Amino acid sequence: MPLVEIRNLTKQFSKGGETITPLNEVDLTIEPRDFLSLMGPSGSGKSTLLNLLTGIDRPTSGQILVHGTDITRLSRARLADWRAANIGYIFQTHNLIPVLTAYENIELPLLLLPMTAAERRKRIAIALEAVDLTDRADHYPRQLSGGQEQRVGIARAIVANPTIVVADEPTGDLDARTAGHILQLVERLNAELGMTLFVVTHDPQAASVAARRLQLDEGRLVESEAAAPVAALDAGRRRA
Amino acid sequence: MLKLRLLPWEYGVRNLFRRPARTGLTLAGLTTVVLLVFVVVAFLRGLDASLAVTGDPSTMLVYSVGAAEDIESSAVPAQLPALLSASLEGIERRYGTDYVSPELYAATRIGVDDDRPKMAVLRGVTPAAPLVRRQVQMTEGRWPQEGEVLAGRLAAAKLGCRPEALAVGNTVTLAGREFRISGRFAAGGAAYESEVWFPLADLQQGMQRQDLSLVAVGLAGEASAAEVQLFCMERVDLGIQAIEETKYYALLQSHYRPVRTLGWVVVCLVAGAGIFAGLNTMYGAVVGRGRELAALQAIGFRRRAVALSLVQEAVLLAAAASLVAALLAVALVHGAAIRFTMSAFALQVDSVTLLIGCGTGLLLGLLGAVPPAVKAMRQPVVEGLKAV
Repeated sequence: MPLVEIRNLTKQFSKGGETITPLNEVDLTIEPRDFLSLMGPSGSGKSTLLNLLTGIDRPTSGQILVHGTDITRLSRARLADWRAANIGYIFQTHNLIPVLTAYENIELPLLLLPMTAAERRKRIAIALEAVDLTDRADHYPRQLSGGQEQRVGIARAIVANPTIVVADEPTGDLDARTAGHILQLVERLNAELGMTLFVVTHDPQAASVAARRLQLDEGRLVESEAAAPVAALDAGRRRA
Repeated sequence: MLKLRLLPWEYGVRNLFRRPARTGLTLAGLTTVVLLVFVVVAFLRGLDASLAVTGDPSTMLVYSVGAAEDIESSAVPAQLPALLSASLEGIERRYGTDYVSPELYAATRIGVDDDRPKMAVLRGVTPAAPLVRRQVQMTEGRWPQEGEVLAGRLAAAKLGCRPEALAVGNTVTLAGREFRISGRFAAGGAAYESEVWFPLADLQQGMQRQDLSLVAVGLAGEASAAEVQLFCMERVDLGIQAIEETKYYALLQSHYRPVRTLGWVVVCLVAGAGIFAGLNTMYGAVVGRGRELAALQAIGFRRRAVALSLVQEAVLLAAAASLVAALLAVALVHGAAIRFTMSAFALQVDSVTLLIGCGTGLLLGLLGAVPPAVKAMRQPVVEGLKAV
């Protein structure tokens, strides 16, 4: 069974008396350990698809089956619970809570799951190590650089070991060098930790790290031919 | 299904320090509001208590029919005590002494502390007075002889003078005659505490009166108030009436109902102002955090959990304000004497006052937080994530 199955997904909304259809009968299947990127011009519906996939928005019609559960039929409260258990969200602007330390920000998704404090500590330590920020655990967001903030955001997204990690323009607010480091980190999540990733971006370099590259064109989803991800190629060269 | 998981407690606490100036101003505003509530409730509690503790169910007051509930305007014959002693069998008697206290009650100006004369409540009494005024206790000095007076615990407050001015050994002046203060008394918060007690003959001379205002009669355990009332009705020629002392003060209490109503209106108005302070703060706190609150929901926190966290912040601030106000009220307000028409009483910051004051404070926090929290939670998560 596929991890995610999107069937005939349509999203319409009205703007100035005009009906806009950013997604028109979209179909998509995501398998476990897949790494997908979604590109498209501004306003093409990339973020809309991501929002529907994470259950923070509702489609006009169609189904989104995750592990066989149609999330479009869940209540708002059930969706929140479902997100806590299944979705890791990496935001463009990090969206760290300014009054909480890096450690406490990473802990947030774990507070939604039934687990002991010891288990939480263990998982946070692993997540901090994965993003190489163990020594910044007690720092507040204002004491971190933009790249460090995004790494904390990534640690927060992966700490609960979600079914799928989604990223909305994860390098959009970063300079080129820091963006490169973040992309390497994201690629490692898939290659080394086997996480399923869905990245929305308008940056071709960011999209190129994904094994499956999708394009939104006038409400239709088009998948380009399979190509070896850039970062994976780099890793392959390093190993060689 | 997962149960409702709340945001960490620290999130709410630390958010209060995010805008220290705004939080500080709101804390000061709420503290002032709650303190005002404490003062008004302490006033009402003190007023109620002073009238409630005044009066003994076994004591009857006999005074003139035309005086209604105003003993000051009552005038009964000077021989009435003897008549009552001779006619009523139910009067308590011990060691040959009848529990019958002839009294002259007057509000007039007396000289205190070399200052201009001040309005005081005076009572002319005999040594029988403590037999029927059982709450009265000497706290200092001794019972007054001719040319001496006793000062109640709150007499200075009623007179509007320093308490030291009524120290034992000092003098007060009535009708050009000096009276030495021989002692002080307390009466457990009863209305007498604001009075100055003279020997009956001295006050009659000072007021140029031969009659009495009332006679207080102590009844024996098995005696009935009806016996006294029947006597009063039979002796039409005396023009007297009798009422239980507790009923008399209950009637006085009912006269103060408009004052109490006004007090509660003030509490509501002050609390209403406090709600706006809370609303202002919480709207300010929510407006700048749209994206953060949306992100928390995107992570998986339910709307209700996020809303509860906002309410927690406001209630926490209100609880801090209530605590500060309660400490100030206990330290500065409790026991403060208030001059009030024919008496004085002490403001009472008791457990009921604390409960009402702190409850109002917490309610202000709650009411101030709910509308902004509801408004914030109505915003769709998708829009919240785009918020600047």
